[in-house]
Amino acid sequence: MSGGSIIIFVLKIFAALVIAIFGIVLGLFCKGIDRKLAAMMQSRVGPPIRQPFLDFFKLMIKENIVPDNAVPWIFNGAPILALVSTISILFYIPFGPIPALLGNSGDLILIAYLLAIPAIALVAGGFSSGSTYASIGAQREMVLMMSYELPLVTIIITLGWRLNLAYPGLKVFSLAALSANPIWGLVGPLGFIGALLLLFTLVIVTPAELSIVPFDIPEAETELAGGVLVEYSGRNLALFQLTNAVKMVVMAALTVALFFPYNIAPLFSLSGALASVIDTLFFFVKLIVVIFFEATFIRVAVARLKIDQASVVYLIFLSAIGLLGLLFIAMDYII
Amino acid sequence: MSIGLLETGSGYWQAIIWVIITVIIGIGVLWLRNKGKEEYKKNTNQTKPFLSGNPELTKEDSHVGASHIYWGFTEALKHYYQPLVNIHTGNINDYSGWVVLVMAIIFIIVGVS
Repeated sequence: MSGGSIIIFVLKIFAALVIAIFGIVLGLFCKGIDRKLAAMMQSRVGPPIRQPFLDFFKLMIKENIVPDNAVPWIFNGAPILALVSTISILFYIPFGPIPALLGNSGDLILIAYLLAIPAIALVAGGFSSGSTYASIGAQREMVLMMSYELPLVTIIITLGWRLNLAYPGLKVFSLAALSANPIWGLVGPLGFIGALLLLFTLVIVTPAELSIVPFDIPEAETELAGGVLVEYSGRNLALFQLTNAVKMVVMAALTVALFFPYNIAPLFSLSGALASVIDTLFFFVKLIVVIFFEATFIRVAVARLKIDQASVVYLIFLSAIGLLGLLFIAMDYII
Repeated sequence: MSIGLLETGSGYWQAIIWVIITVIIGIGVLWLRNKGKEEYKKNTNQTKPFLSGNPELTKEDSHVGASHIYWGFTEALKHYYQPLVNIHTGNINDYSGWVVLVMAIIFIIVGVS
């Protein structure tokens, strides 16, 4: 490597650390807003927005209990693996006008695989807990993951396929390419309906990715006392909470990048640094709005499903909706 | 830099960059974890599995059995799985019949195409 390459490499590592810290802080902030909005929808005052930060610091000074029945290295390793893999997704997603740090090193298919790792870590951690509740929770997490993968992959394949038809030479699974050429501008009226169906599919997949109501069956506090996380405490539980917070940002940023990548600065004929600042702020507004509709609104409005019902929802109904979206977009292209 | 860039025509992934960045973030996460409290009271009631106050009968019964590991998934797809289960009669004549039937279908498809 030349001197210039080494400097770029060191700068990228520094940028990765900054993005990781920023992702965690933003995730906890979004969690706070989510809790506040949920409380307002239920006519409660709710906790302050800084509550997730306080919860994290409180957990860090609590005892980190490893149960007698647990397999310690898996039990302790699972939260680390979950957080590291979730943070690594942030490097492949653009944040509004700010391009992804590793956008040229990985695409949307890689993100789909990386999204599965935190869930697998949770399953491994649950099974290694040696607890009945945790085992049932881990089993449910595994079933849920198997169920929502098909609709998620349908969205990715459809968007990539349609972009490939429009621009055959492009790296069609690159998030930069998908953001630069939003699906809404590639299709006619029939394809527009198909794109709406794909957006709906992603909105319903997100609560399962985040383990929130109505798809929080693996944790199910009122039924399994926390399920997969029942034996976790202290710093291990704190890492799982950070994972969940970062994943909320990841899913919302992914939705924005795929379906709402538009910037606001061109409307006001702005350019330069001011345009970047305005577009970045606009991106965060979009992020909060998406989190409200993908997480807050759904978890307040709907009660928890049973695991077989959730599996039916994803495997049959949502997969059908996703495939219908694909069909509409295909018909739009053919006609 | 394009060290170890894997390209499949549509998709691409630079695995080595992901590994490097993951190791660095892993070190950061370990540092953060080490800032938390490590101690707990070993070999006390604190480390017994939480079962809502009920005693643990046996360690073996504390786990989901392999035959139930996909429950929820199989229940959701029972209308698909049940006919398949019914086909598995355990009778060798039935299995031989399936082989003949599938072979016949393959020959028809190959013959037609």
